[in-house]
Amino acid sequence: MIRFDNVGLRYGAGPEILRDVTFHVLPGSFHFLTGPSGAGKTTLLRLLFMSLRPSRGLVFVLGENVAELSPAGRAELRRRIGIVFQDFRLLDHLTTWENVALPLRVLGKREQDYRDDVTDLLHWVGLGERINAYPETLSGGEKQRAAIARAVIGRPELLLADEPTGNVDPVIGNRLLRLFVELNRLGTSVIIATHDHALMDQLDAPRLTLFDGHLQMR
Amino acid sequence: MTLLSDIRDYPWTSLIAGLLPARVVSRLPARFQARPAQIIPSASIAGNALTVVIAIMTFLACLTAGAVYMVNRSAQAWVNDITSEITVELDPVNTADIEKKMTLVALFLAKQKGITQVKPLTADDSAKLLEPWLGESTALSALPIPRLIAVEIDRSNPPDIEMIKEALSQNFEGVTLDDHRRWQAEIKTLTRSAALGGLAVLGLVAAATIAVIVSATRSAMATNREIIEVLHFVGANERFISREFERHFLGLGVRAGLTGAIAAAIGFLLFPILTHMLGGGIVTAAETERLIGTGELDLPGYFLCVLVVFVVACLCMVTSRLGVIRVLKSYD
Repeated sequence: MIRFDNVGLRYGAGPEILRDVTFHVLPGSFHFLTGPSGAGKTTLLRLLFMSLRPSRGLVFVLGENVAELSPAGRAELRRRIGIVFQDFRLLDHLTTWENVALPLRVLGKREQDYRDDVTDLLHWVGLGERINAYPETLSGGEKQRAAIARAVIGRPELLLADEPTGNVDPVIGNRLLRLFVELNRLGTSVIIATHDHALMDQLDAPRLTLFDGHLQMR
Repeated sequence: MTLLSDIRDYPWTSLIAGLLPARVVSRLPARFQARPAQIIPSASIAGNALTVVIAIMTFLACLTAGAVYMVNRSAQAWVNDITSEITVELDPVNTADIEKKMTLVALFLAKQKGITQVKPLTADDSAKLLEPWLGESTALSALPIPRLIAVEIDRSNPPDIEMIKEALSQNFEGVTLDDHRRWQAEIKTLTRSAALGGLAVLGLVAAATIAVIVSATRSAMATNREIIEVLHFVGANERFISREFERHFLGLGVRAGLTGAIAAAIGFLLFPILTHMLGGGIVTAAETERLIGTGELDLPGYFLCVLVVFVVACLCMVTSRLGVIRVLKSYD
């Protein structure tokens, strides 16, 4: 599913942010990616999502060697991956419903084919009353849930989430974790970057720990 | 195959719906009314300044194309006129009875194959031809003005001009034949020059339009960078993203192009009136008419303006698409 072989990454001529990172993730697994702030969690997620290229080493995502993919191939691969950003990245001129439906629209699906699915998911994440609201009017927690809904609406094979429960209260946080677990049960591999130990303690899942650019699996 | 599938899959209905007023769209079939929210907001693409610039470019392109068309049309009419006619000139010097000689030459010409009409011009007719240069004067009658015979030829079965020339020179002294070839060549040169000049202007207008669109595309891409990144992250490929932009630019091209073309059409309609109002008087009007006809476009001329709009719209669409793809490549 995912394989990193001696991956190193530096920005320009600066020091290496990630050093000799080697790990693999099996299909259908659930992992937490943790470590102190600035350890490189977001950078590792960006490598997984192909928005960064490693300075050295090999990265395989969903069985594909990322270095050998064309731009079209990378776009195709991204369609099989859902991502939740720490800063949500919702489009301000689209409603919550339209934001969540965006990945399906990009796939060229007809609106009538996914209208109910999007609405049901928004109800499930507690945004049933905010379907027509624009992101500017949503709270941080609501934006977080909308971003998660957008990441999972396409039933991705791999879900990457950067601090997905950082802006929500514990009740909603648990609910979102249940959503991730449910997705994982249905076959999606999940990697959640977080430093929320309370969240990690709720689930017996392997932890990829980043410290000083190195990665350890526990 | 990619181009064909691009054309087939293109959201033409939503594009058409986007160009029409809401009350018109509401009367169209359902597929035209399904207008999902724009992923790239129109307001972020281009302001009124770009629309005005493209409208002006289209206006200039239509004026140039129309003017070149009119000059070509007039030149073609001249060429048609002079290729169906030759002129025989009789030198009056050393000729005792010029009228008799005129009759003999005319009779000779009328017998030749491929000649449909022979019209000897009177001395007054010949003098009138010189009036624009010499003015009305009784002194003209005292001058040895060459006498002319206008000969109309059958263009489908033309006579052997060289043979007639030779026969005239053998049988009549001081008689020459002008088949207008030099004049035809000059008109053709003038027409070609006008067409080349027009093409050069059209090329400059096209280059300026492309430069403006490239700049606007880059600016739009920079403004919408965050949206493009999100589209990237949700798996949109180059084709999807460029289509989102090119739809806006095509709409912009059609709107601005039509505005420019309509302004040019009005200009062509008003051109004769304006020439008159600006003090040209009868002489200027007559000269203009001689050069480019009446100054009014006919139906094919207006079709040319529509073609210019089509080209401008396509130019906007294709340029923006290439611009988007270029920027997207830099992301990867």
